[in-house]
Amino acid sequence: MTVDTSFAVDLPAKRSGAGSWVHSYAAMLRWETRGARLLLPLIVVVQILAGAGFVLGFGLLIPDIDAEMALYLSTGAVVMSLILIGLVLTPQVIAQQKMEGSYEFLWSLPVPRSAATMASVTLAAVAAIPGVAAAMLVAVWRYDISFVVSPTVLPACLLTLLCGCLVGSAVAHGVEEPQVILLFTQLAIFFIIGFSPVSFPIDRLPPWLATLHEFLPFHHMAVVVRSSLTTGMVRVAPIDWMVLVAWTVLAAVITGLVLVRRK
Amino acid sequence: MTAMAPGLPVRSGVGFWFDGYRSMLRFETKSLRRYLTLGVVVQVLMGAGMALMYGYYFGDLTPVQQTFIVTGIPALALVPVGFAMVPASIMDHKIRNTYDYVWSLPVPRAASAAATFTIFTALAIPGAVAAIVIATMIYDIDLQVSWLVIPAILLTSAMATSVGYALGHVIPEPRITNLITNLVIFLVLLFSPIVVPIEQFPDWWASVQRVLPFWHMSVVIRDGLTDGLVTDAATSYLVLTGWTVFAWAAAGWVVARRR
Repeated sequence: MTVDTSFAVDLPAKRSGAGSWVHSYAAMLRWETRGARLLLPLIVVVQILAGAGFVLGFGLLIPDIDAEMALYLSTGAVVMSLILIGLVLTPQVIAQQKMEGSYEFLWSLPVPRSAATMASVTLAAVAAIPGVAAAMLVAVWRYDISFVVSPTVLPACLLTLLCGCLVGSAVAHGVEEPQVILLFTQLAIFFIIGFSPVSFPIDRLPPWLATLHEFLPFHHMAVVVRSSLTTGMVRVAPIDWMVLVAWTVLAAVITGLVLVRRK
Repeated sequence: MTAMAPGLPVRSGVGFWFDGYRSMLRFETKSLRRYLTLGVVVQVLMGAGMALMYGYYFGDLTPVQQTFIVTGIPALALVPVGFAMVPASIMDHKIRNTYDYVWSLPVPRAASAAATFTIFTALAIPGAVAAIVIATMIYDIDLQVSWLVIPAILLTSAMATSVGYALGHVIPEPRITNLITNLVIFLVLLFSPIVVPIEQFPDWWASVQRVLPFWHMSVVIRDGLTDGLVTDAATSYLVLTGWTVFAWAAAGWVVARRR
């Protein structure tokens, strides 16, 4: 008795393991970068203008700005660049894919979905750098601020970015309608710039809003990044890191659940 | 010989113009109705939200500084309607290829323009008034409201709508209009002396602002809401009128042109 295996002879072996993941990640990173190549210069310019403009503009408006407020403003602009790229740009890109109809196609590619998600987070991280640099350079030039950079700057910035990107992805993948995703990003910009204690001390908010921010990630993002760029201005507590890690894990789980689901 | 055009008289005259104006008013209101509702919400949010937000960023404020914020809010609420929503509504026609269709309708183009203008001016005013009422409650400020606030709001609203209308028509490419709109909002929120005294700005930038319309918008409205904070509102009225006339001329030139 012979078993006819000829029909399955040409199917490649099922790929898995770390090597395959890294390979897919690299492929998706190339894919994402090329897909965004026309948009990327524009995003970088907008990031630079927004980062520098934020520091300069509020510097003009705030009456009798002192050194501490200037430091608050410029470190706030750094945090803002990191948050907005994840929480605004990431969902907008996904909403765009949904509107163009390329969303389903992307998930049909033979790569692990986590590799695809991490590739887009990586691209966002690179795109955030110019805005961060612009905000810091303008602060040094305009207000003679000297930043005291501590080694925690790397985990602080990366965690802030990762948390923002994953929360953004969770919303963008979880919500079906692209219009609703876009509305979410608009509201997020408004809330983060206007009503989150990122660029001003938390005690200026009404008590109920300050309490709410103990549970949301933005205040804690500002605290960990600011404490790694300055000395003696804010006190970072373990709870700040814990809240951020919790949000990151939660967002990763939600993104994971939504993406693993088959239709 | 008129046999070739029986029953096709060329319509003209004041009565015909007003008929066209009324039809276009209905046409535009119906096609924009969802957008207009959204507009009022954006305006109130933007006005009241900015009043709160500037407060957080500025920290401890004297009553005069608070008054500056509150009286700057209506100008701030009028900006998005005039400079963002009006060009966006025209852009929308260009993107959907209905732009030429609207001009092909048998109504005078001036009547059509006047209809757009009326709708957005009417839309802008309740939002601006709501924004100032909320801002006044937030800061608990006593305003000295005089009748001057009526021409002030009418003129600023008319100016903003006219410039937005001209921008939408003069610039052929919708994307460029979009870019300019975003730049204007950025410029107005962060770099214009609307909620703070202009003296706070560096001299060279203050001179630029004396030419641009945004500071003047806040001056005339502030003049109608307070006593003694504004010294020279007449110049601002003139500058705003100048911008309005300039915008009408630019829009008229494009709108009247045949292709």
